[in-house]
Amino acid sequence: MIEGAWLWLAFVLMSLTTVGTRGSFILLGEKGRLPPVLQRALRYAPAAALSALVMPDLLLDGNELSLLNPKLAAGLVVIGVALRWRNPWLPFIVGMAVLLGMRKGLGW
Amino acid sequence: MESVFRRGAREGVRDFLPLSVGLVPWAVVTGIAMRSIGLSEIESLGMNLLVYAGTAQLGTLPLIAAGAPLWLIMLTALALNLRFIIFSASIAPLFAGRSGAERLASSYLLVDGVYAICAEKALKSGDAQWRWGYFIAPSIFNWVMWQLFVAFGVFGAEFVPHDWSLEFMVTIALMVMVLSMVRTRPMLVAALAGGLGAVLLRGLPLRLGVVAGIVIGIGAGFVAERWQQRRGAA
Repeated sequence: MIEGAWLWLAFVLMSLTTVGTRGSFILLGEKGRLPPVLQRALRYAPAAALSALVMPDLLLDGNELSLLNPKLAAGLVVIGVALRWRNPWLPFIVGMAVLLGMRKGLGW
Repeated sequence: MESVFRRGAREGVRDFLPLSVGLVPWAVVTGIAMRSIGLSEIESLGMNLLVYAGTAQLGTLPLIAAGAPLWLIMLTALALNLRFIIFSASIAPLFAGRSGAERLASSYLLVDGVYAICAEKALKSGDAQWRWGYFIAPSIFNWVMWQLFVAFGVFGAEFVPHDWSLEFMVTIALMVMVLSMVRTRPMLVAALAGGLGAVLLRGLPLRLGVVAGIVIGIGAGFVAERWQQRRGAA
C-alpha cells in the first residue's frame, strides 16, 4: 500500500495524465493533427490495459496459475450477467454474492 | 430573452441526462472501491478531485494497494487515459476562440459520456456561443454528479462489513468495462492478448508484466485489425 505524501504524489502524477491526454489537442489549438495509424493503435490501449490488470487477479492465486478459485468463478458469472442483462447494478450484486457465498458459505 | 449560450447549455444537459443516470452505480462503486483498498475518506475524495477519471482511478487501485512504483502507476493511468488523445483531437475545433483558462478547464472536464453524446452535434454547429454552452454545461453537470455519488460511496463504505472482500468490486468494475469495449474482434484480441501477456509475464521485475501486457495487447489488436481488413478486401 502506498501511503502519505507518496500517495498524494501518485494522485498528482495521475492527474497530469488525465489533463495531459484530454487537453493534448484542446490546449495545442488547431495546429496539431494525430496520424491515423497512431490513432488506430491507441484505440486498443484501454482494453489491453484493463485486461492486463484484471486477468492476473482472476487467474492467479498468489503467484501460481489457478483455474479453480472463487474469484475466477465469480468473474465468469459476472461476465455472463453483464452480457445478458443491461442493469448496471446487477454484475456487482451478483458477483459479490457469488464470491461471498463461496468464501463464507462453502469456506473456499 | 434567453442567450444563445444558455440555450446551448440547456440542450446539452437535456441530451446528456439519460446517459448520466447510468453513471450513478459507477460513481458509487468507485467510491466504495477506493475505501476498500484502504484509502481514507480524505484520500479518496482527493484522488477523485485530482484524477477525475473513473477508469484510471479504478485501474490503478490494485497497483496502489500492492505498493507498486509510482512510474508504473502513472504509466498505467496514462494507458487507461490514452483514448482521450483521440477524443481531444476530434473535439479540438470546438474551442476555437476560447481562452486558455477555458481550454484548461475543458481539458480537465472532458469525459467519455459527454464526448459520446455531445461532440458530434456541437462540432456541426456554426455558433460558437451555443457550442460552448452545449459542451461545458453537461461537462460541469457530470462533474457535480460524479463527485456527489463518489462521496456517497466513500462515506457509505463505512457501513459495509470489513470481511466482505469489497476490493473484488474493483475487479468486477474493470471486467464490466472491458466487456463494454470488446465489441469488435480486434478489440477482443487486444484484451485477451493484453491479459494473458500480463499473466504469463508476471515474473518480470517491478511489475513490468502489466506494461508488457498493455504493449502486447495494443500490438495484437492492431495486427488483428490489419488481418481483418486484408481478409475483407480479398
